Amino acid sequence: MNFKKLSISVSFAVFALYGALILSLFYYYDGAVFLETLRSSRTLFSIRLSLFTATVSTIIAVIVAIPSAYALSRFRFFGRQLIDTMLELPMIVSPVALGAVVLVFFNTPTGTFIQDHGIRFIFTVYGIFLAQFITTVGIAIRLIKAAMDEIPVRYEEVARTLGASPARAFMTVTLPLCKRGIIASSILTWAKALGEFGATITIAGSMAMKTETIPVAIFMRLASADIEGTVVLVLMLIGIGLGILYGVRLLTGRAVPV
Amino acid sequence: MPKIEVKNITGKVLKDLSLSVGDREILALVGPNGAGKTTLLNVIAGLTDYSGEVLFDGVNMDHVPPHRRGVGYLFQDLALFPHMNVAANIAYGLKIRKYAPAVISERVDELMDALHIAKLRDRFPYNLSGGEKQRVAIARAIAPFQKILLLDEPTANLDAQTAKYFRSELSVFLRRLEITTVFVIHDLLGAEEMADRIAIMHQGSIEQVAAPGDILFRPRTRVVSEFIGMPNILNCDECTVLSTGLVEVRSGSMRLVLPYEGTAMSKLAISPHDIYISDSKPPGPALNRYTGTITEIIPLRTVVRVKVLVDGNELLAELSRETFDEMKLTAGSNVHLIVKLRRLRYFEV
Repeated sequence: MNFKKLSISVSFAVFALYGALILSLFYYYDGAVFLETLRSSRTLFSIRLSLFTATVSTIIAVIVAIPSAYALSRFRFFGRQLIDTMLELPMIVSPVALGAVVLVFFNTPTGTFIQDHGIRFIFTVYGIFLAQFITTVGIAIRLIKAAMDEIPVRYEEVARTLGASPARAFMTVTLPLCKRGIIASSILTWAKALGEFGATITIAGSMAMKTETIPVAIFMRLASADIEGTVVLVLMLIGIGLGILYGVRLLTGRAVPV
Repeated sequence: MPKIEVKNITGKVLKDLSLSVGDREILALVGPNGAGKTTLLNVIAGLTDYSGEVLFDGVNMDHVPPHRRGVGYLFQDLALFPHMNVAANIAYGLKIRKYAPAVISERVDELMDALHIAKLRDRFPYNLSGGEKQRVAIARAIAPFQKILLLDEPTANLDAQTAKYFRSELSVFLRRLEITTVFVIHDLLGAEEMADRIAIMHQGSIEQVAAPGDILFRPRTRVVSEFIGMPNILNCDECTVLSTGLVEVRSGSMRLVLPYEGTAMSKLAISPHDIYISDSKPPGPALNRYTGTITEIIPLRTVVRVKVLVDGNELLAELSRETFDEMKLTAGSNVHLIVKLRRLRYFEV
């Protein structure tokens, strides 16, 4: 077997692994339970809540990530390495631990003040936004920075000699050139936010019809030994996630050679 | 168009460098790699940090950011915006400076016609040849009515033949625009073809700034002399125009034939690299071939320089150490010389 065939085989093996796991769900699939679960107001609420919170927290994360990624990609400044290392935090610390850190924070005088005089995060929808934001923003910055690193600084220098201010050069040259990278990063950030569980349940809890996102709902069904209901929700999560990822990938498939 | 003055510039490789470029002058920066040529362009454009002063028409530019200096810059890698077509690339600077759409359209058309790229209007950079990209990048650099133009190796991406043609076309174009221009070029011949004056740079300093003929015939320092290849300078005692587009030059009792470019000449420069030595008589017509006697052998690290007395003129030739060893040349031995016709340079001094 040559190297090409070997590498293709390995990629198919990974596909087969995930495929087999998804197929195994159908062992417990029951059409009647599927329809009943899907139509239930609790499930529909979870789907709506998950889609809404994942979308909002992705938008916030990307808005924060674009300037941060640009600074890390283009400038050499004091503390740059420190910031870069800190971005790894969501990758090396489990989401439950991150959620616990947030809970501890809101039990300090500063945290209590924010809770009492600003926004209440603990056991509210705002807690879901916060949980999804802290677990995704580092990854969003990393991915967008990688996209910006691919765009030579030279384009901005050209734009500046043609009369563009640094901000204008960024908006008219760098941003359009890394548009695809930013979209791809946003999709991955959104997918991660949609599937976020550990930090969400720690900060926002698992209150039905209030803070129950799809991953939390799956956990709750599983905890009450409702296998059929769990299967239905998992299939929904997979369907929504893969469907949107694939759709956006098709829409943004056109490449601009740099 | 403004006069450029740089005074006591220090930064990166540059060491207390001062230079003045006249209004509408075309100045070439020539020198070996690492001499600081591109850094000097970046200083003028405001793209790099420096200490010292940069003045345009006597106005200090040190705290003026690049986008307010009015300096067009053709980078060596061209860097055409890949997400814009040719017309949009050229129009970019005009749009940024908020010119009226009619002015933008007229200016883009005018530059595309002048640089013969009108048919490329809707093409994208990935779909252009090296020469086409070069023309588009020049049009883009000039488009927003810049006062100064900087060109970094404007013919680097072209083959030798195209580069020569493009240099002469660019020279005419720049003179018509009457724009103060500083350009970097590694090839002295190319610099001579385009520039009013040439600045020879070495290790962050300027060794000599002078008209092309003066650089060649009156190098002021050893570095300049080394860089231009210590040419053999011959006096033109008599010139006879031949019917075949050639001119025969007599220098002492030596006769050389070279292409006639319609200008009178008083001196002739031949680089030592362009004189070939052979220990046996080479075949072919006897054009620019001579016999002479070796008077001195100067061994250097990788090459050997040989002085040969030919018809009363002492010519310096350079050959590789390997070739020299193969021929077993010694002082006093007779050799045959071939002077490469196209490499002859002459000036009306």
